[in-house]
Amino acid sequence: MSAEPVELDPTARPGSHVSRGGAPRRRPTGRAPGEPRNVAWLYILPGLVFFVLFTFLPLLHAGWLSLYQWDGLTVGKFVGLDNYSQALSDPDVRTAFLHALQLIIYYSVLPVVLGLALTGFLTRHTVRGFTFFRTVLFLPQMIAGVVIAQAFVWFYAEEGPFNAALKRVAPDEWARGWLGDFDWALRAIGSIGTWVTFGLCMVLFVAGVQKIPTSLYDAARVDGAGAVREFLTVTLPGLRYELVVAFVLTTINALRSFDIVYNATKGGPGDETYVPALLMYLNAFKYNDVGYACAIAVTLAVVIFVLAIAVNLLADRGSD
Amino acid sequence: MAALLALLVALVVAACGGTPGSDNDDATTAAAPAASDTTAAPAESTAAAEPTVQMDGFESLGPVELNVWSYDNQDPGLMPVITELTKQFMAKYPNVKINLEFKDFNSLVDTVNRALASEDGPDITEGNQGYQIDAAQVKAKLILPLDPYIKAYGWDKWWGADTNQIFQWTEDGKTFGQGPTWGIAQTGQNVGLYVNKKKLADLGLTIPATFAEFDTMLADAKAKLGDDPIFEFGNKEGYGTIHFIGGLQGAYGDAQPLRDWIYHVPGSTFETPQNIQALTKLAEWGKAGYFNEDYNAVGYDQAAAEFAKGKGLFFVGGNWETAIIKAGLGADAGMINMPPGESGKHVGVGATSGPWHISAKTKFPDVAAAWLNYIHSSPEAVDMMYKALQIPAISGTTPPADDPFLGEVTASWQQLVSDGGLTLYADWASPSMYDTLAKYYQEAMAGKTSPEDAAKAIQADWTKFDAELKAG
Repeated sequence: MSAEPVELDPTARPGSHVSRGGAPRRRPTGRAPGEPRNVAWLYILPGLVFFVLFTFLPLLHAGWLSLYQWDGLTVGKFVGLDNYSQALSDPDVRTAFLHALQLIIYYSVLPVVLGLALTGFLTRHTVRGFTFFRTVLFLPQMIAGVVIAQAFVWFYAEEGPFNAALKRVAPDEWARGWLGDFDWALRAIGSIGTWVTFGLCMVLFVAGVQKIPTSLYDAARVDGAGAVREFLTVTLPGLRYELVVAFVLTTINALRSFDIVYNATKGGPGDETYVPALLMYLNAFKYNDVGYACAIAVTLAVVIFVLAIAVNLLADRGSD
Repeated sequence: MAALLALLVALVVAACGGTPGSDNDDATTAAAPAASDTTAAPAESTAAAEPTVQMDGFESLGPVELNVWSYDNQDPGLMPVITELTKQFMAKYPNVKINLEFKDFNSLVDTVNRALASEDGPDITEGNQGYQIDAAQVKAKLILPLDPYIKAYGWDKWWGADTNQIFQWTEDGKTFGQGPTWGIAQTGQNVGLYVNKKKLADLGLTIPATFAEFDTMLADAKAKLGDDPIFEFGNKEGYGTIHFIGGLQGAYGDAQPLRDWIYHVPGSTFETPQNIQALTKLAEWGKAGYFNEDYNAVGYDQAAAEFAKGKGLFFVGGNWETAIIKAGLGADAGMINMPPGESGKHVGVGATSGPWHISAKTKFPDVAAAWLNYIHSSPEAVDMMYKALQIPAISGTTPPADDPFLGEVTASWQQLVSDGGLTLYADWASPSMYDTLAKYYQEAMAGKTSPEDAAKAIQADWTKFDAELKAG
């Protein structure tokens, strides 16, 4: 941890002209040599140390464990990639990942669409007391998942408030214990996700809109653009980076969701609400199969990386 | 950058290191030489270890401190009983300090193995039958075999051989129901049929002697009850069905094949007419609307609470729900076992409460055993358990005569023991069996999977794990 910042030279990567044999050539840039760029490393060092210690190394460790058949207690047995091939053919794992993809609709797509719609509305209309509503809508982000799950268990119960409201407008047979229903449990879980992440998306977008020059809106209006046209040509392109952030954050939330499922349904009924993180937990702590749990975890991490990179690439291409 | 890379490599090596678990194992054997000695001794020759058991006179040991983990955190329930008995024990030996730590079931069982493997885990803890907890602890040599203490204290006279089986494992942690004994338990816990006697009388019904007649009676009750469910039921966690099905399995056979299956006796299978008929009946009752519709969204304890408030005619649940049901229904509460099938022998899901284990790392195993003996069998212990509405696992005890409901609850347990009708818990059969059963029972009950396919899938889990056990 006490590495000399001077040695942490970011330009010393292989293939860079400075590191080639012989004395370093003089840089053609007009900047002073050494110091300022090395100082940059010093600034990110605290964050980097935490990242390496608590994110990067555990990830590598999980990758290492995933190559073993290990019960968490006795000596493990090296099995190579067996855990991964087992995961690929495990119907429970497949179900869980399919559910995670479905949850993206609820955790990511719906909140983003709702957030955009509301933002589009707000760019044309002033709402009294909006700061208050914004705070209220953002609140779910700050509540622990366990609490949210408990609240919704009550909300969705057969004699809970949701059914009470539903019975007023729909036939009584529509009411049911939503979290225990084979057809509705996953959708009910997903809707909790929508409720949680919608506020985050909206706050991101509303903040983003404020940095779009008002002259663009004026120009659009002068050109006779209506609400939809204005939204599509001014607001949406101006929010590209906020959209990327919103999609990446909410997609990660969807894929790694655990606390709400664990506390609301424990994966049931049947396997209707199995998600990858739940299987990871079950294998590590209930089935004493730590290696397999790590294999699922690493697979999940890879899927999240790929999706996050894909969203970023799409956004970059859009900006060209 | 080079230094950073070097640092990274060093950290990676440190993080990954060698084979996982290898250092744990060293620590265990190094810290507890005495433990490995007794572990190595075969069960039959434990007489050799017998003279070393110190049963009294712990005053001479100097300060003794024991940490105890328990998930009997219910009050009313076992928690106050254990707490009070521990106070008495400490008063007897003032140099002994016992720190009780009560946790909820899941947080204990999810962490206890790793805690026992660490240097500051509990000296005494409750475990759990099955491969996740008890077998893993035996295999990793984290707990001591109790055979020397069983001999010394006469614990083998507390219950029959088939009860003792649930504490037995071979030393490799592979064969359940054989080998040394690793635990003892305080109370008998069985699932029975709680009855709302007032409602039953109002409907003009009485519970018949056989399951077939009972089944007919239910159809009659359904017609009379209307919207009120026959069975108030909670299966949110998935164990509601695992508990419920025992009485149905009893209608079509006895408990021995079910226990054999859990113990992985060669040739056992779940795909028996008994199990398939039981699942068929469960689905039939589900379809006929005998249960509250939202049962998969209601918790087990929550269903007990609803039943105590007067919902439903019956509640199929564990005798640990006695307190809440007594508080709610008072004199209207009753409990019996599910009316039996043709054999006339009663069958129900149940076993003792959680097994108590002594850590292989404790410095004072003899004091730990003396404490266990005290909380199970001191004259006060039995009375206090009954007072807390807990049924002592030790056979031949009598409940207080002034509480007829507690008398019925006690009779239910004792009847299952004497009929050889305890099925144990089917989820002990493999580490993943709980989730497999929860999933397929739920699906079968809802008519989403046929009883045959459910039995097949459950057996597939068993077979897969059976092969793992044999492969080593």
